[in-house]
Amino acid sequence: MTRPARLGPVLAPVPLVAALLISVLLVAGCAGTTGQARQASPAAPPPLATARVTATGTWAVVVMGGSAASHGNFWQVFVRPAGASDWRLVTPPAVASNGGLVLASPGTGPVVAAFRPSQLLSYSPLAITHDNGTAWSPGLLDARLADTPDALAAAPGTGRLLALLAGGQTELSGPAGTGWARLVSQHQLAGTADAARCGLRGLTAVAFGVSGVPMVAGTCGRPGTVGVFAHASGGWQLAGPALPAADAAASVSVLRLTSTTHATVALLASGRGRAARLAVATLAAGHWSLSPPLPVNGSAPASASIGAAGTAVLLTSRRAETVSPGGSWRALPPPPAGTAVLAPGADGGWDALVVHRARLTVWQLAPGARRWVAGQVISVPIEYGTSG
Amino acid sequence: MPGMNSGVNVNDPTVIAAFKSALLHQGLIALLIFAVLGLAWITVRSWWQATAGAGGQAAPAAGQAAAGPAVPLPAAEPGWRQLLRVGFGALWIFDGILQAQPKLAIGLPSQVIEPIAASSPAWVQHVVNWAGTTWSYHPLEAAAATVWIQIGIGVWLLAAPSGALSRLAGLASVGWGLVVWAFGESFGGIFAPGLTWLFGAPGAVLIYCVVGALIALPQRLWHSPLVGRAVLAGTGLFLVGMAILQAWPGRGFWQGSSHHGPGTLAGMTASMARTPQSAVLAGLIRAFTSFEEAHGFAVNLFAVTVLAVIGVLFLTGRPRLVRPAVIAFSVLCLADWVLVEDLGFLGGLGTDPNSMIPFILLAAGGYLALAAGGYLGLSPSPAPAPAPAPAVTAPGWRDRVRPASLRRDVAAASFRSVAAIGAVGLIILGAAPMAAAQASPNADPILAEAIAGSTASLNFPAKPFLLTNQRGQPVSLASLRGKVVLLTFLDPVCTSDCPLIAQEFRAAGQLLGPDARKVELVAIVANPVYHQLAYTQAFDRQEHLTSVPDWLFLTGSVPQLRQVWANYGIAAQILPAGSMVAHNDVAYVIDRAGHVREELSTDPGPGTTATRSSFAVLLAGAARQVLGAS
Repeated sequence: MTRPARLGPVLAPVPLVAALLISVLLVAGCAGTTGQARQASPAAPPPLATARVTATGTWAVVVMGGSAASHGNFWQVFVRPAGASDWRLVTPPAVASNGGLVLASPGTGPVVAAFRPSQLLSYSPLAITHDNGTAWSPGLLDARLADTPDALAAAPGTGRLLALLAGGQTELSGPAGTGWARLVSQHQLAGTADAARCGLRGLTAVAFGVSGVPMVAGTCGRPGTVGVFAHASGGWQLAGPALPAADAAASVSVLRLTSTTHATVALLASGRGRAARLAVATLAAGHWSLSPPLPVNGSAPASASIGAAGTAVLLTSRRAETVSPGGSWRALPPPPAGTAVLAPGADGGWDALVVHRARLTVWQLAPGARRWVAGQVISVPIEYGTSG
Repeated sequence: MPGMNSGVNVNDPTVIAAFKSALLHQGLIALLIFAVLGLAWITVRSWWQATAGAGGQAAPAAGQAAAGPAVPLPAAEPGWRQLLRVGFGALWIFDGILQAQPKLAIGLPSQVIEPIAASSPAWVQHVVNWAGTTWSYHPLEAAAATVWIQIGIGVWLLAAPSGALSRLAGLASVGWGLVVWAFGESFGGIFAPGLTWLFGAPGAVLIYCVVGALIALPQRLWHSPLVGRAVLAGTGLFLVGMAILQAWPGRGFWQGSSHHGPGTLAGMTASMARTPQSAVLAGLIRAFTSFEEAHGFAVNLFAVTVLAVIGVLFLTGRPRLVRPAVIAFSVLCLADWVLVEDLGFLGGLGTDPNSMIPFILLAAGGYLALAAGGYLGLSPSPAPAPAPAPAVTAPGWRDRVRPASLRRDVAAASFRSVAAIGAVGLIILGAAPMAAAQASPNADPILAEAIAGSTASLNFPAKPFLLTNQRGQPVSLASLRGKVVLLTFLDPVCTSDCPLIAQEFRAAGQLLGPDARKVELVAIVANPVYHQLAYTQAFDRQEHLTSVPDWLFLTGSVPQLRQVWANYGIAAQILPAGSMVAHNDVAYVIDRAGHVREELSTDPGPGTTATRSSFAVLLAGAARQVLGAS
């Protein structure tokens, strides 16, 4: 039987309400794709690409090859032996370097390279050389090294190592890099009186002081305080420089902390955006000296290297600046495109290591010169597909 | 989406050959099912006729009630139901045939399900991932099940025009359709941005479900005008909603192109045109894409207007308005089917002809239902004849299962009923192996076989070795005599393959169950630089192998290791410039007497959860085989 008379009243209001509901649901489902507003992050340490100078040579770590997403990126170690003019490839063998490489050296003695773990590896193989990378012997840090250029430090004389781990802990080895033990964690450090004064937010670097004292550095939440801590008398004490009154209003991050044979050098960042500034603090003979601030207009350093005498060189996008302890910032001529690292040159000038996939070109800047000159070219025999 | 993609190549010849073989075998069983049912039916009918003849009773004609209590004759099936039943029966069969594409065994999760789910919210991806993972673990069983279930539902719908079997076919269509809609089509993409009717919203299979529900309606509603009105009103409401969505600003449908490239619709059709297909069809779609890019606003205005107008006309329920609306809707659907949906099944790995043909059938069915209700001024379908009052009370279930009663029922059954029961057999044929496979948490070894290739059966004495285990104790091969040894070579600082192989060994040990104590899982260091005890221990901690009782990670001096590598054909090569050590991924199965019995490639391939599980099954199977043989 048909009952048309009842259908109209039954169905009529339903379409209107349902159409409205469907539309609202569909539109809500389809239109709700806005992302979250990004918050400005505090200043982060520069990438692992860096150079350091030891008694036996100048070392550089750069990433070459292809995309990191496809594990086509291979970190390499180059050295230019003291007195030589050419660089050579000395990447320690037998471990995939896709996760990054960190170099540590007390300035004299062995150089230690730590492989940051990648993919399914969860600990950090170490490689130690006493002969400028001709031969490497294995070591082990059974933990995940942090992703900062100063995550590993080597003590002068003793062969002890200090490591900053990805989880914010620090570990100290026995002599010759064996027998690791927990030193302090970020959480433990934050509980000390000095760290409370700093408002510690995170750890970024470890170092041994010139006298062999373990040091850790991080970001302070409290404005005007530099988060450099020294392990002395069984406790942790704030050991950073005092900042001038002009910088007392900004929180400070320690981007790098490293020691040469004579000094401990810290790269400090303060402010955000257009107010962002960098400064280099140098601890020598028990006293800190502070460079003038360098406005960086919001751009983060792509590489920061420290020379033997504590001279720092910063690389931002197409801009290079250098400063010596107690001196002023000096702009270098714009480095060549593709510059990954700036390193102190053989004759007092500067070397720019320019990377294009598997080819490294060394550009040199003689002292006082105004132009970079292309020099040595090294083709790195990258075996693509071996780490994927 | 973790787990969904097995990572195996969709064209892998091992899987394709196995899938074809499975379909062939199951096809033969399907034929056997129909043959047995047919023979049984013919035999019982002949026997009944002989018996009844001897007893002076007439044999029942097919489809008629046999002697016994009077049973009402089935009502004539109305045209709308016949259209939907036959139409969607044919569609299910077509979908089942499409599912038999060899690439779908591996490709459905990664190339069909995952791309659809990718733009959906996380909870949809989570739900879909479960199904995709299940499929990728058992690709042969899942793919074959889909083929036979869909063909079975189709045959069932076609064979059963009325009665309980017919309604059950409708319910089967609803049930399986919901499974496909939810897991295969990510709920038709209704929770994803970019939803549009033009590209198949709300998912073709949801229409199959709606139609299945209509087919399952009780017989007393077949001739009710409510059906036609409800179908058209529901469709109209949906189309109005889709028109609103299509017109919503900011979704990109009003622009044929932007400075980034083609607009939303043109981008969709351009990607369809790039899929492998005939040049003619690709040319048509490219032409439409160009037109859309040039006149995007006009195209969208047309689509919005037509959808809204047709939707409103459907909602009115007035026959003289509905008829032209159905015709216009059909034309629009056909145009969209060709120019936008690319016939649904031609782009990539198509699994159905998409939504437009189902929409046409649904609208036409609604219109016929309306017509059958007499709303067009046409003669209404004959109402079902009133059933004659039964002479006696209907028999109870005990009476119906008595042999004589059963024989009578079988003899009275029509050919169509027998075919419908055969279709149910087809569904069971597909579903049963899948259900059995699903009961196992382990993946099919076919994935490992596809990656590693065939294993080699061997029989020669294993070369001896004396090395140091991860606890610093000496271990020789001779000391393991009496146990089956699964032997492999691992680099403790390897970042990709070796940790996967170690996990596969660990899982194989678990799969062995009580047999695990008769099997030793042994790895030997394959790195000439990082071979110290500290590294085997660190590796064991990393891979949670420290508590595995029969796990040994052996090392030694470099000369010792080189000797073992040479004996077992391992080339551990130091590569320059930050690469890890290259070595071959291989496992040997050594029997209790110290003879190498099998060599397997352990290259873990993509290292997905499915392939890892599959390798574990393969390794455990190889160990069991040697255990059984020795």
